[in-house]
Amino acid sequence: MPTPAYAVDVQDLGIRYNLNLTRRTTLKGSLAEWVGRKQQVGRHFWALRHVDFQIGRGESLGILGSNGAGKSTLLLALAGILAPDEGSVTLSGRVSSLLTLGAGFEMEISGRENIFLIGGFMGIRHRAMQGLTPSIIEFADIGAFIDAPVRTYSTGMRARLGFAIATAIAPDILLLDEVLGTGDEEFRGRSRQRIREMVARAKAIVLVTHDLTTVTEFCNRALLMEFGQVVYAGTPQDTVGFYKERIQERKRRLAEAGHESEAALPPPVALHQPAS
Amino acid sequence: MRLGFVRLVTRGSVDLKTRGRLLQHLVGTDLKRTHADTVVGQLWWLIDPFFSMAIYSILVTVVFQKSMPDAPLFLFAAILPWQWFSTSLMDATTSVTGRGNLIRQIQFPKLVLPAATTVAGSITFCFGLLSLALLYLLYPSHLSPWLLMIPIIAAVQFVFTLALAILFSALNTFYRDVQNLLRHATRIWFYMSPAIYSVSDLSGSGFRYVLGLNPFTYILTSYRNVAYYKSAPDWVALAIVLVLSLFLLAFSIWVFKRLETGFAKIL
Repeated sequence: MPTPAYAVDVQDLGIRYNLNLTRRTTLKGSLAEWVGRKQQVGRHFWALRHVDFQIGRGESLGILGSNGAGKSTLLLALAGILAPDEGSVTLSGRVSSLLTLGAGFEMEISGRENIFLIGGFMGIRHRAMQGLTPSIIEFADIGAFIDAPVRTYSTGMRARLGFAIATAIAPDILLLDEVLGTGDEEFRGRSRQRIREMVARAKAIVLVTHDLTTVTEFCNRALLMEFGQVVYAGTPQDTVGFYKERIQERKRRLAEAGHESEAALPPPVALHQPAS
Repeated sequence: MRLGFVRLVTRGSVDLKTRGRLLQHLVGTDLKRTHADTVVGQLWWLIDPFFSMAIYSILVTVVFQKSMPDAPLFLFAAILPWQWFSTSLMDATTSVTGRGNLIRQIQFPKLVLPAATTVAGSITFCFGLLSLALLYLLYPSHLSPWLLMIPIIAAVQFVFTLALAILFSALNTFYRDVQNLLRHATRIWFYMSPAIYSVSDLSGSGFRYVLGLNPFTYILTSYRNVAYYKSAPDWVALAIVLVLSLFLLAFSIWVFKRLETGFAKIL
């Protein structure tokens, strides 16, 4: 089988949330709707729609956008955590998706045990995890704490251990959400160094961040998302420039409209051409 | 893409088979989490069943004035497996909802979560059997080789528990009411099972037909046969419970796999 041309191939991706079924759903509510036939068809919210892009090997893609634009949903879809409701996501290679570093740790067990637990969740063989453990511990640089329960760790230590695990398993595709800013100056330097190495080794990286300099520094391509759609795709410099313009425009409209926020937002620009 | 019943159930079984090592880690974590930060730690596994046995012994012999020879052993033989069932079921029901953070981090077969909780509960039960063994120091006349049948009865109970654990953990993700309802349901279920009485106590009552439909009637009676009456378990009934539990297990895995893709959106 020929190697697929792209590491990540996203085609007309749509992710839909059913507003009738949130975590605050109760049996009573559902029964009432069902019995009274009050269930409204179309109470759906498209967190992502008509998203198309490809990432080649050795490419590093930055995703920009304001809160609620769909950036994190996109990462969840790339990680396979959310199944597409429309379109498709095709990945070739191993994905590492510790999106928010350290949030999945088990508090009562030690860092070392967490390494194996996370490895197990990622589907990595125990033997392989044993081989990786020394380098993970070394990179995380948390000393004797590795054998203490994770609840005793500082936020920085958790993030470092999370980053060490996520990158140590040599993923072909690395998904990161707002993480390069964690830790102290020294660790930030090392994590940036590791990301650069991964890009050099032709791995694909998707990076969600609010930090515009991170995008221009690390990525060779960037997307801007608004209302669940990709509204701009280009070089990091161009995308950051466009994003800044959009923010300016939004501020201007907000000022004009007094503070009636929704009406003041600039209408979503539709650069997307539906695939025929 | 909607897969058929058999395909989904097979997929679910493969999930569990290929993630044996993860199950092992999860079970270890579960066991460490319970009773962490307590002074006597894991000893609570032995102490807990003794306390409930003492309470029910007082209730039955002192309050209800029921004459029951060697009541503590009679009660313990049924209460111990019941507690295994009810705690495993309650813990497993929240096993998916309690790991929302992780489910939104890594893609993995969620079926391992209720399965690991049920296995961890079984290990706790094995420790409980140690306290049962201690009880024979007081009642040596009830010892018999039939006690060696306990693992077989426990295996049937395990399949039944696992089936319900998988089903309720999936349903609880969508309706948090399930965990509340279940708390009351298991309590009612306990009193409707022959745990603090025996089936023969109800021979004249119409309630015995209700007991006849309850799988725990056969499971608890079998435990009590081998541990108290020095007799054989109810093999036929156990076989029927096992077969029905296997069907229920397949159904539960199917429901779980159907709902699994929606977990991350809700948690």
